[in-house]
Amino acid sequence: MTTHEQSLSPRTPIMVFGALIILTIATVLLSGLDVGNTGALLIAMSVASIKAALVLYFFMHLNHEPLIFKLFLGVAFFTLLAIFVLTFSDYSFRVI
Amino acid sequence: MSDITHPIEHHRDDEGTRLGFWLFLYTELFLFAAFFLVYSVYRSSHLEDFKLAAESLNTGIGTVNTIILLTSSLTMVLSLDALKKGSVKLAKTLLLVTFALGMAFLVIKGFEWSAKFEHHLFLQTAKGIAAGHGSPLLTPGSEMLPVGQVLFFGLYFIMTGTHALHIIIGAIWMLIVFFWMSKGSVNQDNHGVLERCGLYWHLVDVIWIFLFPLYYLVA
Repeated sequence: MTTHEQSLSPRTPIMVFGALIILTIATVLLSGLDVGNTGALLIAMSVASIKAALVLYFFMHLNHEPLIFKLFLGVAFFTLLAIFVLTFSDYSFRVI
Repeated sequence: MSDITHPIEHHRDDEGTRLGFWLFLYTELFLFAAFFLVYSVYRSSHLEDFKLAAESLNTGIGTVNTIILLTSSLTMVLSLDALKKGSVKLAKTLLLVTFALGMAFLVIKGFEWSAKFEHHLFLQTAKGIAAGHGSPLLTPGSEMLPVGQVLFFGLYFIMTGTHALHIIIGAIWMLIVFFWMSKGSVNQDNHGVLERCGLYWHLVDVIWIFLFPLYYLVA
């Protein structure tokens, strides 16, 4: 129908699920490392981003969607990024 | 001429519907983004309090709940795939499993919350603390929390609460789709609503993927 010859074999979802579980365990184990606040935050957010990307791409089937869906994601992502960067470019330099 | 009956044709644009639904999902994303922004600003200004407060959250429970939600996302994907292949019965079973996992998540979250209630950590206001009296829930004589920790728990309850509300909405939606599948109006050819329910469920999962490390790991 709408999705072009999409494979309906459960192999890919199960492999993606396995990767998600491994990443979850990895991020819990890595949180025990003493790498300072910024390091810990960086590691945790990087792993979370990879997991989110896996869910978006495979579970939410972005891999089978036309380009416009990916462009929308890009726009949303850059808007988010702009909001965070602008907020912190103000907040970090405030004298309270 | 007028006695010719045309079969009613419903125009259906599945791709357009999906795109519209993705737009809705982005509004949901920005709802949570506002919370994440507040969290990161307060975390940067009250780092020590945030770390201390986060230590009172149980990493084990958080990990179990993460795995439960990830598993429910998998069963949701498999349910949609089963329906696309025409095996309605399998799709319905997998949807019920997804629903049950969502409920398990909520029950665990409920236990976690009630433990925090017992320690009187629910929505204390910073203003009340500054004025020397805690929230009405704080029993007389118990210690006052530092403002940074009050902010942490306030955000914890608001963010996980909004997330739990989405779990509840997703679960109710699943039951409705389950009912429609039983009736036959959602089927192999017409599976759009299950697809959207799944997209919604996965987004709720994505948000949890970020909530989990911020509350349970970076203590």
